[in-house]
Amino acid sequence: MTAHPTADRSNWAATPERGSLSLLRFMTWCSLKFGRQATRLLLHPITIYFLLSSPKGRRASRSYLEHALRRPVRWPDLYRHFLSFASTIHDRTYLINCRFDQFEFEIHGEHLLEQGNGLFLMGAHLGSFEAISAVGKKNAGLCVAMLMHEANAQKINAALLAINPQSDQEIIGLGNLDAMLKVEARLKDGYAVGVLADRTPGNEARHPVEILNRTAQIPVGPFRMAALLKRPAIFMTGLYLGGNRYAIHFDRLADFSALKPGERDQAIKAAIMRYAELLDHYCKSAPYNWFNFFDFWQDSTE
Amino acid sequence: MQDNPNSALQREVAQLMVECLNLEITADQISPDTPLYGDGLGLDSIDILEISLTISKRYGLQLRSDGADNQQIFGSLRSLCTYIAAHRTP
Repeated sequence: MTAHPTADRSNWAATPERGSLSLLRFMTWCSLKFGRQATRLLLHPITIYFLLSSPKGRRASRSYLEHALRRPVRWPDLYRHFLSFASTIHDRTYLINCRFDQFEFEIHGEHLLEQGNGLFLMGAHLGSFEAISAVGKKNAGLCVAMLMHEANAQKINAALLAINPQSDQEIIGLGNLDAMLKVEARLKDGYAVGVLADRTPGNEARHPVEILNRTAQIPVGPFRMAALLKRPAIFMTGLYLGGNRYAIHFDRLADFSALKPGERDQAIKAAIMRYAELLDHYCKSAPYNWFNFFDFWQDSTE
Repeated sequence: MQDNPNSALQREVAQLMVECLNLEITADQISPDTPLYGDGLGLDSIDILEISLTISKRYGLQLRSDGADNQQIFGSLRSLCTYIAAHRTP
Protein backbone atom coordinates (compact mmCIF):
# COMPACT_ATOMS: atom_id res chain seq x y z
CA MET A 1 0.00 0.00 0.00
CA THR A 2 2.95 2.35 0.27
CA ALA A 3 4.25 2.08 -3.25
CA HIS A 4 5.92 5.26 -4.41
CA PRO A 5 4.27 6.53 -7.59
CA THR A 6 6.52 7.66 -10.35
CA ALA A 7 4.16 10.20 -11.91
CA ASP A 8 4.77 13.80 -11.00
CA ARG A 9 1.82 14.87 -8.91
CA SER A 10 3.19 18.20 -7.85
CA ASN A 11 1.42 20.21 -10.58
CA TRP A 12 -0.62 22.26 -8.17
CA ALA A 13 2.50 23.27 -6.28
CA ALA A 14 3.80 24.93 -9.42
CA THR A 15 0.75 27.20 -9.73
CA PRO A 16 1.94 30.54 -8.42
CA GLU A 17 -0.12 32.12 -5.66
CA ARG A 18 -1.63 35.33 -6.90
CA GLY A 19 -1.26 38.63 -5.15
CA SER A 20 1.39 39.91 -2.86
CA LEU A 21 1.76 40.68 0.79
CA SER A 22 1.31 44.44 0.42
CA LEU A 23 -1.91 43.88 -1.49
CA LEU A 24 -2.99 41.47 1.22
CA ARG A 25 -2.23 44.04 3.91
CA PHE A 26 -4.21 46.66 2.02
CA MET A 27 -7.18 44.37 1.51
CA THR A 28 -7.10 43.36 5.18
CA TRP A 29 -7.10 47.00 6.16
CA CYS A 30 -10.10 47.70 3.89
CA SER A 31 -11.96 44.63 5.14
CA LEU A 32 -11.55 45.62 8.76
CA LYS A 33 -12.12 49.33 8.16
CA PHE A 34 -15.24 49.11 5.98
CA GLY A 35 -16.67 45.92 7.43
CA ARG A 36 -17.65 42.53 6.09
CA GLN A 37 -20.96 43.54 4.49
CA ALA A 38 -19.48 46.37 2.40
CA THR A 39 -16.30 44.61 1.31
CA ARG A 40 -18.23 41.44 0.42
CA LEU A 41 -19.62 43.41 -2.55
CA LEU A 42 -16.11 43.45 -3.99
CA LEU A 43 -16.08 39.67 -4.06
CA HIS A 44 -18.34 39.71 -7.12
CA PRO A 45 -15.98 41.55 -9.49
CA ILE A 46 -13.06 39.58 -8.01
CA THR A 47 -14.90 36.32 -8.66
CA ILE A 48 -15.68 37.34 -12.24
CA TYR A 49 -12.05 38.26 -12.79
CA PHE A 50 -10.76 34.91 -11.58
CA LEU A 51 -13.51 33.01 -13.38
CA LEU A 52 -12.53 34.62 -16.68
CA SER A 53 -8.78 34.54 -16.19
CA SER A 54 -8.23 30.98 -14.98
CA PRO A 55 -9.35 28.43 -17.59
CA LYS A 56 -7.60 25.61 -15.70
CA GLY A 57 -9.43 26.42 -12.50
CA ARG A 58 -12.68 26.62 -14.44
CA ARG A 59 -12.12 23.23 -16.04
CA ALA A 60 -11.30 21.65 -12.67
CA SER A 61 -14.36 23.26 -11.10
CA ARG A 62 -16.64 22.04 -13.89
CA SER A 63 -15.31 18.51 -13.80
CA TYR A 64 -15.63 18.37 -10.01
CA LEU A 65 -19.14 19.89 -9.91
CA GLU A 66 -20.43 17.47 -12.55
CA HIS A 67 -19.61 14.62 -10.18
CA ALA A 68 -20.68 16.36 -6.98
CA LEU A 69 -23.99 17.76 -8.30
CA ARG A 70 -24.70 14.81 -10.64
CA ARG A 71 -26.26 17.09 -13.24
CA PRO A 72 -25.01 19.27 -16.11
CA VAL A 73 -22.98 22.23 -14.85
CA ARG A 74 -23.67 25.78 -16.00
CA TRP A 75 -21.91 29.11 -15.57
CA PRO A 76 -23.93 30.08 -12.46
CA ASP A 77 -22.64 26.90 -10.78
CA LEU A 78 -19.04 27.80 -11.57
CA TYR A 79 -19.70 31.33 -10.35
CA ARG A 80 -21.12 30.06 -7.09
CA HIS A 81 -18.13 27.76 -6.61
CA PHE A 82 -15.58 30.53 -7.19
CA LEU A 83 -17.58 32.97 -5.05
CA SER A 84 -17.71 30.50 -2.22
CA PHE A 85 -13.92 30.17 -2.37
CA ALA A 86 -13.50 33.97 -2.42
CA SER A 87 -15.90 34.27 0.54
CA THR A 88 -13.90 31.89 2.72
CA ILE A 89 -10.68 33.74 1.90
CA HIS A 90 -12.32 37.06 2.71
CA ASP A 91 -13.73 35.67 5.95
CA ARG A 92 -10.31 34.42 6.93
CA THR A 93 -9.42 38.07 7.54
CA TYR A 94 -12.08 38.29 10.24
CA LEU A 95 -11.38 34.87 11.71
CA ILE A 96 -7.65 35.52 12.01
CA ASN A 97 -8.46 38.85 13.66
CA CYS A 98 -10.86 37.11 16.08
CA ARG A 99 -13.99 38.94 14.83
CA PHE A 100 -16.17 35.96 15.59
CA ASP A 101 -19.24 38.17 16.13
CA GLN A 102 -19.45 38.49 12.33
CA PHE A 103 -20.56 34.88 11.95
CA GLU A 104 -23.03 32.26 12.93
CA PHE A 105 -21.38 28.94 13.64
CA GLU A 106 -22.99 25.59 14.14
CA ILE A 107 -20.57 23.07 15.60
CA HIS A 108 -21.01 19.31 15.31
CA GLY A 109 -19.00 16.66 17.13
CA GLU A 110 -17.11 19.04 19.41
CA HIS A 111 -17.11 16.41 22.16
CA LEU A 112 -14.46 14.53 20.16
CA LEU A 113 -11.96 17.19 21.21
CA GLU A 114 -12.74 16.96 24.88
CA GLN A 115 -10.44 14.15 25.84
CA GLY A 116 -7.77 16.78 26.51
CA ASN A 117 -4.80 14.86 25.13
CA GLY A 118 -2.90 15.60 21.98
CA LEU A 119 -4.59 14.58 18.76
CA PHE A 120 -4.47 15.12 15.04
CA LEU A 121 -7.04 17.23 13.21
CA MET A 122 -7.10 16.07 9.61
CA GLY A 123 -8.58 18.71 7.38
CA ALA A 124 -8.77 19.08 3.62
CA HIS A 125 -9.03 21.85 1.06
CA LEU A 126 -12.72 21.70 1.81
CA GLY A 127 -14.41 24.70 3.42
CA SER A 128 -12.43 26.80 5.86
CA PHE A 129 -9.92 25.28 8.25
CA GLU A 130 -9.57 28.70 9.92
CA ALA A 131 -13.06 28.21 11.31
CA ILE A 132 -11.31 26.05 13.93
CA SER A 133 -10.35 29.33 15.62
CA ALA A 134 -14.03 29.88 16.39
CA VAL A 135 -14.04 26.59 18.26
CA GLY A 136 -10.85 27.64 20.02
CA LYS A 137 -12.60 30.76 21.23
CA LYS A 138 -15.39 28.73 22.88
CA ASN A 139 -13.10 26.01 24.10
CA ALA A 140 -10.21 27.92 25.65
CA GLY A 141 -8.16 24.78 26.25
CA LEU A 142 -7.84 24.05 22.52
CA CYS A 143 -4.40 24.87 21.11
CA VAL A 144 -3.79 24.11 17.46
CA ALA A 145 -0.44 23.90 15.69
CA MET A 146 -0.59 23.56 11.91
CA LEU A 147 1.78 21.20 10.16
CA MET A 148 2.59 21.86 6.51
CA HIS A 149 5.23 21.58 3.83
CA GLU A 150 8.03 24.05 4.26
CA ALA A 151 7.36 26.22 1.20
CA ASN A 152 3.70 26.59 2.23
CA ALA A 153 4.64 27.15 5.86
CA GLN A 154 6.73 30.18 4.98
CA LYS A 155 4.07 31.63 2.68
CA ILE A 156 1.24 31.07 5.15
CA ASN A 157 3.24 32.47 8.03
CA ALA A 158 3.94 35.65 6.07
CA ALA A 159 0.27 35.89 5.07
CA LEU A 160 -0.94 35.37 8.63
CA LEU A 161 1.28 38.14 9.92
CA ALA A 162 0.11 40.44 7.13
CA ILE A 163 -3.49 39.78 8.14
CA ASN A 164 -2.89 39.99 11.87
CA PRO A 165 0.56 41.09 13.08
CA GLN A 166 -0.35 39.74 16.53
CA SER A 167 -1.19 36.29 15.20
CA ASP A 168 0.32 33.61 17.40
CA GLN A 169 -0.77 30.69 15.24
CA GLU A 170 2.01 28.14 15.42
CA ILE A 171 3.07 26.60 12.14
CA ILE A 172 5.44 23.65 11.97
CA GLY A 173 7.20 23.34 8.62
CA LEU A 174 8.15 19.92 7.32
CA GLY A 175 11.44 21.28 6.00
CA ASN A 176 13.51 19.99 8.89
CA LEU A 177 14.21 16.40 9.63
CA ASP A 178 13.18 16.88 13.24
CA ALA A 179 9.76 18.37 12.35
CA MET A 180 8.18 15.16 13.65
CA LEU A 181 9.95 15.39 16.98
CA LYS A 182 8.44 18.87 17.27
CA VAL A 183 5.02 17.45 16.47
CA GLU A 184 5.49 14.82 19.13
CA ALA A 185 6.43 17.47 21.70
CA ARG A 186 3.33 19.54 20.86
CA LEU A 187 1.08 16.49 21.18
CA LYS A 188 2.56 15.82 24.61
CA ASP A 189 1.63 19.41 25.54
CA GLY A 190 -1.98 18.50 24.65
CA TYR A 191 -2.10 20.36 21.33
CA ALA A 192 -4.24 19.46 18.38
CA VAL A 193 -1.93 19.23 15.36
CA GLY A 194 -3.75 20.28 12.20
CA VAL A 195 -2.89 18.84 8.79
CA LEU A 196 -4.55 19.35 5.42
CA ALA A 197 -4.27 15.71 4.46
CA ASP A 198 -5.76 15.68 0.96
CA ARG A 199 -2.69 16.72 -0.99
CA THR A 200 1.06 16.94 -0.91
CA PRO A 201 3.51 18.75 -3.14
CA GLY A 202 5.93 15.84 -3.11
CA ASN A 203 5.99 12.44 -4.74
CA GLU A 204 5.09 10.66 -1.54
CA ALA A 205 3.42 7.33 -1.04
CA ARG A 206 -0.30 7.47 -1.74
CA HIS A 207 -3.24 5.21 -1.31
CA PRO A 208 -6.04 4.96 -3.88
CA VAL A 209 -9.59 5.74 -2.69
CA GLU A 210 -12.97 6.40 -4.25
CA ILE A 211 -14.35 9.92 -3.94
CA LEU A 212 -17.46 10.85 -5.98
CA ASN A 213 -17.13 7.53 -7.81
CA ARG A 214 -13.69 8.34 -9.12
CA THR A 215 -10.32 7.10 -8.02
CA ALA A 216 -8.18 9.62 -6.17
CA GLN A 217 -4.83 9.24 -4.45
CA ILE A 218 -4.57 10.28 -0.80
CA PRO A 219 -1.12 10.82 0.73
CA VAL A 220 -0.31 8.16 3.32
CA GLY A 221 2.10 10.36 5.31
CA PRO A 222 -0.31 12.18 7.68
CA PHE A 223 -2.03 8.93 8.67
CA ARG A 224 1.24 7.07 9.08
CA MET A 225 2.42 9.87 11.35
CA ALA A 226 -0.70 9.65 13.53
CA ALA A 227 -0.29 5.86 13.75
CA LEU A 228 3.40 6.06 14.66
CA LEU A 229 2.66 8.62 17.37
CA LYS A 230 -0.36 6.58 18.55
CA ARG A 231 -2.80 9.46 18.65
CA PRO A 232 -6.45 9.85 17.71
CA ALA A 233 -7.11 11.36 14.29
CA ILE A 234 -10.21 13.54 13.98
CA PHE A 235 -11.56 14.83 10.68
CA MET A 236 -12.35 18.54 10.65
CA THR A 237 -13.99 20.88 8.18
CA GLY A 238 -15.61 24.32 8.42
CA LEU A 239 -18.20 24.35 5.63
CA TYR A 240 -19.35 27.68 4.29
CA LEU A 241 -23.14 27.69 4.01
CA GLY A 242 -23.57 31.13 2.44
CA GLY A 243 -24.26 34.48 4.08
CA ASN A 244 -22.39 34.55 7.35
CA ARG A 245 -23.03 30.92 8.27
CA TYR A 246 -20.51 28.15 8.81
CA ALA A 247 -21.04 24.55 9.87
CA ILE A 248 -18.03 23.09 11.63
CA HIS A 249 -17.85 19.32 11.69
CA PHE A 250 -15.63 16.98 13.66
CA ASP A 251 -15.78 13.28 12.81
CA ARG A 252 -13.82 10.39 14.23
CA LEU A 253 -11.31 8.96 11.76
CA ALA A 254 -9.25 6.57 13.84
CA ASP A 255 -7.82 6.13 17.29
CA PHE A 256 -4.31 4.82 17.03
CA SER A 257 -3.69 5.06 20.81
CA ALA A 258 -3.78 1.33 21.51
CA LEU A 259 -2.35 0.22 18.20
CA LYS A 260 -0.15 -2.88 18.06
CA PRO A 261 2.70 -2.79 15.51
CA GLY A 262 1.30 -5.69 13.47
CA GLU A 263 -1.99 -3.86 12.94
CA ARG A 264 -0.50 -0.61 11.77
CA ASP A 265 -0.74 -0.87 8.00
CA GLN A 266 -4.31 -2.11 8.19
CA ALA A 267 -5.32 0.68 10.58
CA ILE A 268 -3.70 3.34 8.38
CA LYS A 269 -5.54 2.00 5.38
CA ALA A 270 -8.86 2.00 7.26
CA ALA A 271 -8.30 5.61 8.39
CA ILE A 272 -7.60 6.73 4.81
CA MET A 273 -10.74 4.98 3.58
CA ARG A 274 -12.78 6.70 6.31
CA TYR A 275 -11.22 10.04 5.40
CA ALA A 276 -12.21 9.52 1.76
CA GLU A 277 -15.74 8.54 2.80
CA LEU A 278 -16.09 11.79 4.73
CA LEU A 279 -14.75 13.85 1.82
CA ASP A 280 -17.24 12.14 -0.45
CA HIS A 281 -20.06 12.82 2.01
CA TYR A 282 -19.28 16.52 2.49
CA CYS A 283 -18.62 17.09 -1.24
CA LYS A 284 -22.19 15.92 -1.82
CA SER A 285 -23.79 17.76 1.10
CA ALA A 286 -21.89 21.05 0.61
CA PRO A 287 -20.59 20.85 -2.97
CA TYR A 288 -19.36 24.43 -3.32
CA ASN A 289 -16.78 23.95 -0.56
CA TRP A 290 -14.26 21.89 -2.52
CA PHE A 291 -11.23 24.12 -2.99
CA ASN A 292 -8.86 21.97 -4.97
CA PHE A 293 -8.94 23.94 -8.20
CA PHE A 294 -6.77 21.51 -10.13
CA ASP A 295 -7.35 18.02 -11.47
CA PHE A 296 -7.47 16.30 -8.09
CA TRP A 297 -8.46 12.92 -9.46
CA GLN A 298 -6.02 12.69 -12.37
CA ASP A 299 -7.59 9.40 -13.33
CA SER A 300 -8.22 8.05 -16.79
CA THR A 301 -12.02 8.27 -16.75
CA GLU A 302 -12.11 11.77 -18.23
CA MET B 1 38.28 3.73 10.23
CA GLN B 2 40.31 0.78 11.40
CA ASP B 3 38.44 -1.63 13.62
CA ASN B 4 35.72 0.85 14.49
CA PRO B 5 34.09 -0.18 17.77
CA ASN B 6 30.87 1.20 16.32
CA SER B 7 30.83 -0.97 13.23
CA ALA B 8 28.83 -3.74 14.90
CA LEU B 9 26.38 -1.13 16.11
CA GLN B 10 26.24 0.38 12.62
CA ARG B 11 25.30 -2.98 11.14
CA GLU B 12 22.66 -3.45 13.80
CA VAL B 13 21.12 0.02 13.35
CA ALA B 14 21.20 -0.32 9.54
CA GLN B 15 19.33 -3.61 9.93
CA LEU B 16 16.76 -1.93 12.22
CA MET B 17 16.24 0.84 9.66
CA VAL B 18 15.74 -1.60 6.81
CA GLU B 19 13.22 -3.58 8.87
CA CYS B 20 11.19 -0.72 10.33
CA LEU B 21 10.98 1.21 7.07
CA ASN B 22 10.68 -1.79 4.73
CA LEU B 23 13.52 -0.37 2.66
CA GLU B 24 14.18 -2.05 -0.64
CA ILE B 25 17.89 -2.31 0.05
CA THR B 26 19.89 -4.48 2.41
CA ALA B 27 21.55 -3.21 5.56
CA ASP B 28 25.08 -3.45 4.13
CA GLN B 29 24.06 -1.22 1.21
CA ILE B 30 23.64 1.70 3.60
CA SER B 31 27.00 3.42 3.61
CA PRO B 32 27.88 4.94 6.99
CA ASP B 33 28.27 8.44 5.55
CA THR B 34 25.30 8.70 3.19
CA PRO B 35 22.90 11.42 4.37
CA LEU B 36 19.78 9.75 5.77
CA TYR B 37 17.40 12.62 5.09
CA GLY B 38 16.40 13.96 1.69
CA ASP B 39 18.90 13.29 -1.09
CA GLY B 40 21.05 10.39 -0.12
CA LEU B 41 18.99 7.63 1.41
CA GLY B 42 15.85 9.59 0.52
CA LEU B 43 14.06 9.37 3.86
CA ASP B 44 11.40 11.91 4.81
CA SER B 45 10.68 13.36 8.22
CA ILE B 46 8.11 10.64 9.02
CA ASP B 47 10.75 7.99 8.25
CA ILE B 48 13.11 9.82 10.60
CA LEU B 49 10.35 9.77 13.23
CA GLU B 50 9.95 6.03 12.80
CA ILE B 51 13.69 5.47 13.14
CA SER B 52 13.88 7.69 16.20
CA LEU B 53 10.97 5.86 17.87
CA THR B 54 12.54 2.49 17.08
CA ILE B 55 16.02 3.31 18.31
CA SER B 56 14.70 5.17 21.39
CA LYS B 57 12.93 2.00 22.40
CA ARG B 58 15.75 -0.35 21.46
CA TYR B 59 18.58 1.59 23.14
CA GLY B 60 16.64 3.37 25.88
CA LEU B 61 17.47 6.91 24.89
CA GLN B 62 15.51 10.11 24.49
CA LEU B 63 15.66 12.33 21.42
CA ARG B 64 14.39 15.82 21.98
CA SER B 65 12.59 18.12 19.60
CA ASP B 66 14.51 21.12 20.88
CA GLY B 67 17.82 19.34 20.59
CA ALA B 68 19.74 21.57 18.23
CA ASP B 69 21.90 18.57 17.34
CA ASN B 70 19.21 16.56 15.60
CA GLN B 71 20.39 17.65 12.16
CA GLN B 72 23.82 16.37 13.03
CA ILE B 73 22.66 13.19 14.83
CA PHE B 74 20.52 12.09 11.91
CA GLY B 75 23.08 13.29 9.38
CA SER B 76 24.28 9.77 8.63
CA LEU B 77 24.32 6.25 9.96
CA ARG B 78 27.76 6.91 11.43
CA SER B 79 26.72 10.02 13.36
CA LEU B 80 23.52 8.34 14.55
CA CYS B 81 25.52 5.41 15.91
CA THR B 82 28.04 7.69 17.58
CA TYR B 83 25.12 9.32 19.36
CA ILE B 84 23.57 5.99 20.34
CA ALA B 85 26.89 4.67 21.65
CA ALA B 86 27.30 7.77 23.83
CA HIS B 87 23.74 7.91 25.18
CA ARG B 88 22.40 4.36 25.31
CA THR B 89 21.32 2.98 28.64
CA PRO B 90 22.28 -0.64 29.06
